[in-house]
This record gives sequence, structure tokens and C-alpha cells, in this order.
Amino acid sequence: MKFLTIAKKELIDITRDRRSIIMMLVLPFVLIPGLFGVVYTIQSQQAEKASEQQIKLRFLGKEYAPDLYEAFAELDKVIILDQIPTDSIESYIQEEYLDAAIYINRDYQKSIDQNKQAQIIIKYKGTDSFGVTRDLIKSVLSTKENQIINKRMDDLNLKPDIVKAFEIDYKDVASAQEKLGKIAGGFLPYFFIIFGFMGAMYPALDLGAGEKERGTLETILSSPATRLDIVLGKFLVVMLAAFITAFIALGGMYFGIQTFPDLEPWVLEIVNQMLTLKNIALIMSLILPISAFFSALLLGLSIYAKSFKEAQSIVGPLNIAIIFPALIGTLPGIELNAITSLIPILNVSLASKDIIAGTINPYYMVEVYLSLIVFAGLAILWCVNWFNRESTIFRN
Amino acid sequence: MIKVKSVTKEFSLSRKQRKELGDQYKKIKKVRAVDNISFECHPGRIFGLLGPNGAGKTTALRMIATMLKPSSGSILVSGYDSVDEGQKVREQIGFMTGQTALYDRLTPTEMVKYIADLYGMDKQNFNKRKKYLFDALDMNSFSDQRISQLSTGMKQKTSIARTMIHDPSVMVFDEPTSGLDVMTSRSIIALIRNCQEEGKTVIFSGHRMGEVNQLCDDIAIIYKGKIFYNDTMDKFKAEMTKSTFEEEFIFRVGEE
Repeated sequence: MKFLTIAKKELIDITRDRRSIIMMLVLPFVLIPGLFGVVYTIQSQQAEKASEQQIKLRFLGKEYAPDLYEAFAELDKVIILDQIPTDSIESYIQEEYLDAAIYINRDYQKSIDQNKQAQIIIKYKGTDSFGVTRDLIKSVLSTKENQIINKRMDDLNLKPDIVKAFEIDYKDVASAQEKLGKIAGGFLPYFFIIFGFMGAMYPALDLGAGEKERGTLETILSSPATRLDIVLGKFLVVMLAAFITAFIALGGMYFGIQTFPDLEPWVLEIVNQMLTLKNIALIMSLILPISAFFSALLLGLSIYAKSFKEAQSIVGPLNIAIIFPALIGTLPGIELNAITSLIPILNVSLASKDIIAGTINPYYMVEVYLSLIVFAGLAILWCVNWFNRESTIFRN
Repeated sequence: MIKVKSVTKEFSLSRKQRKELGDQYKKIKKVRAVDNISFECHPGRIFGLLGPNGAGKTTALRMIATMLKPSSGSILVSGYDSVDEGQKVREQIGFMTGQTALYDRLTPTEMVKYIADLYGMDKQNFNKRKKYLFDALDMNSFSDQRISQLSTGMKQKTSIARTMIHDPSVMVFDEPTSGLDVMTSRSIIALIRNCQEEGKTVIFSGHRMGEVNQLCDDIAIIYKGKIFYNDTMDKFKAEMTKSTFEEEFIFRVGEE
């Protein structure tokens, strides 16, 4: 039971370390709601700005299509600038003094009258945020085009159905929870996986390489505690740190959503449906073995390092190895199946997505658990074996 | 009592290490840090293991403390084998180095309690022993302050208390005064002397001949992993051909 003595001491030690506490408790709780708030505020401000924005157009060939010119000119949002010289139009658009230019061909009316296609050229800047200019022009032109088509069909005594063979009615059977779950569920696990890893990282470095650097490793190695006791004691604390950090990140998300001022009530209702006690418990049950996996991996690498600094440089690239599968899980089209259930990190990400959406397959869930337990077990064995090697402990 | 018999310790060289050591090590896969050494340390006597840096002193002491396993040979500590009965050996030992080796975020009381718990001491025994050590070392005034806030001298006292809390019968000191100032070194010397008076077996490694002369009853000189002198301090003094201990040590090491 000496491992419990070691775990107790390590727990006291890390809870007195300000950096560990910030990483474990403060950051995940504050960062995610804060991040949500910042992203939402910026996005809504931008969207509002874009929708209120006046669109400046240069209309060339007004005399060939006066009705089309009128259709644009009567819109409140549109300002037509006739003074801009023709040869400077492109540079004005490039410099964003002008949003778009519409070129009407001199044969416009002739083509319309002869039931032919009239050529219209639109010049605009594709990097325009939210595509407001393009959408507006498209909408005006499309209304006008429909009027012309309807008139042509009338002239030919044809019904509009002749060019529209199907009347399709798409009926979505996915519930709102399912749809939101597939979208939100994609990136939520990404956050708590990353936070779980980050929460384990600092204690693992401190308890492995930090112990070597302080010279205290020899103190405990010369005590009656076995190497297994030492590894288990340290491992338990690192795992607890990872688990608590991930849990707090999840709590932070929930708290952030609940206290978000501008959230539509129906979204809040769906979120409450998604984050039920059962779903949170299921997600946490996945976080526990993945935390064990991270912790053993990080502790093993930290013990190998000669110093805290070296440990940081070894663990750094591992961040990418963790982020990558977590990120893949956020992509649409990647689903939990018999194969993806076996890939650690990715399986947690995908299973969490399905839990949140309420579509989790229990067979795959069992597969995820088995895979995580096996990987966590292997990582712990590797860590113990690593700690038993003299060349690792006294690496010089 | 420590009995070291024909002990050898080899370390494997990694490819990177072979490269760093130069061409002559290109085909050498292992190096001998300790080469067939034998000596005995007796209760109530201070045994000095002397040698320059890299001679194999720390490796030898780490093998006695069971941190490293000998490649061949055997080590008995208070009758227990260091490989087969490692845990029993560690229960007998107090291990101290020049580094204070303390946890900055704990208090001296917590630090000492942690070590006592690892040694499985009961509460009554711990309280009695702690009172004795904290009184003797005058530690009561700072016993509940964080170690990070203590002075070097206070840290050294804490380090002594954590080494002695379980009242070990064998004390292993690996260059205990290395890097310390004169005042702190003196407290360590006093501790070693005290251990001897209490009848403990003491093994001490170092290269300061003044300390060795002041403390040791028996000495072994180790160089390039081999012991080439092992006898009493009195005999060493009697056989000296040079005027000072430093000169004699350099002369003997140089001869090798």
C-alpha cells in the first residue's frame, strides 16, 4: 500500500503548485466559456456589420437594361456609383472602394426579345466576408431571370411545370438533438481530450523529470517502496489530474452554455437534452481510461528525460499525435464503426459525438471501452517497465 | 555491516554515447563502471570510499542502496542480499547525498512524515523519533514552513532529519559535503561522527582528503572502477611517502 502514501504526497505537492492548479482547474473552466463568448461575439458583430453594410455598385450599360438598373437602384442597401472611370473599376474593387461592377452587353434587350441568353458580367472580390455582395446580386438577377422565363413560357403557352419535372419535398427524420449533436458533438470531445492531456502534462513532467532534477528520486528509490509502488503512486495522481481537468472542461462548457445571454431557448433546450446526467456519466467513463492512457504515456516519457526542459521537448511533439486523431473526429463523414472504435483518442472523440447526438451503438461502445482499457494497460506496463530500467532512471 | 564481494557493474553504451566517446569506443558495447571490487564496512566504524570524479564511487554506493543491480558479485547489508532482498536492505539504510533532495512545496514535518510512512513507521514511534531529531537539530521554529522558504542551513537540517527518521543501522553518504559551504559541511561531518558514536555502519564517499583524515577509520581508494588500496586509516598514514594526504592520494592514483 506504499503507492497510496506516494499518491497522497504527490497530490499535496501538485495542489500546492500554482501552475498545476491553473492548468487543472482555472484554465479549462474559464477558457472554454470565454472562447465561446469571444467567437460568438466576433461572429455576430461581423455578421451584423456585413448585413448592415451598404453595397457600392458600378452599373455599366444602364441604357441597355433600364429595368435591371432600377431593380438594383431601388434597394436601400445599394448605392450606385456612376462616376468611377471604367478603366479603374478593377482596382477600385481590389482596394474595396467598390463592391462589384455589373456589365450589361449592348445586345441585352435584343437577346431577351429573341428568346436568347443575354450576357451579363459581374466583377467582384471573392474574399468579401460572408459573400453578401455576391448573394445580393444573385438574388436580384435570379428574380429578374424568373420573370423573363415566365413571360417566355406564357408567350409559348407553356406551363412552368414543363421545365420542372419533380416536386421534391425533403423530410428530415433526424431530431434537432441529433443534428446539433453531430455538429457540436464533433468539437466538444476535441476540447476535453486536449484539456485532459494538458491537465496530465504538467504533473507528469513534475513527478518524473522534475523529481530527477531535484535529486529526490534517489530519496524514494532508497526507501522500502518498490518501483511498482513509485510508478503506481505517481500514475494515480497524474491520471486524477487529467480526469479532473477534462471533467472541469466539460463542466466549463456546460456552464458557459447555460449562462450564455444570447442563446436561443430552443438551442438551450436541446443542449439540456444532450448533456443529461447519463450522457455526462457516459462521456466521463470514456475519459477515465483515456486519461490513464495519457498519464502512463506522459509519465514514462517524463521519467526517461534527464531534466524538466528535456521532458518538455520530448512531450511537445506528442501534442500533435494527440490533437491529430482528436481533430479527425471532428470531421464530417468520419463515423464510429468497428474499426474506428479501436483507435484510441479518435474512438473517444467519435463515441462522445454519438453519445451527445443520442445515437450511440452499444456494441461499438463496448469495443471502445475494450480498446481503451487494453491501450491504457499497455501504456501502464510500458511505464512500469521503463521505470525498472536502470538506463532510464540513471540516464546520463 | 556491509559486505561487498567481487562486485562488477557494467553499463551498456548507446550508439550516441559510443559516437560521443570517440573512435576507440566504436566497437565497445559495454563499459565497466566498477570492476571486481570487494570491501567490508563494520558497525561503529566509518568507511571512506575515495576516488576522483568518475572513479565508480556513486555506482558502488547506488548498488549498496539497491538502486542499481550488480552485473556480478554480491552485496550483503546487515545480512540481507541487495538483489534478492532489496526491500529489506532499503529498510536498513539511510541514504544522503550533497543535494538536499527535498520537496520544496512540503514543510519539514510533512517531508519527514512522508519518508517515515514509506518506511512503515507507526505514529507513536514517528512522533518520538521526530521530537528527538527536531529538538537535536533545533528545527522546531521552522517545522511548518514550506521548504522553498527555508535557508540552505535549514534545508540541510531537514535533509538530515529525513535521512535519520527511521533510525537506520547503515548510513550511506554519497559526497555529502560536495558543493556545501563550510558551516553546512560541518553539520554533516558532525552527523557522520554522531552516527559512528551510535554504533551505525557508515560508508562515506568523497575526495576531500581533509574530511577523510578527520572522519574515516577504514578507507578504500577506487580509481577507474578498481580498488587498489583497502585498509585502515592508521595503516595508510603509516605507509605515507608524501608529506600531505592530497599529495599521497595524487601519488597513489598517479601510479595506477
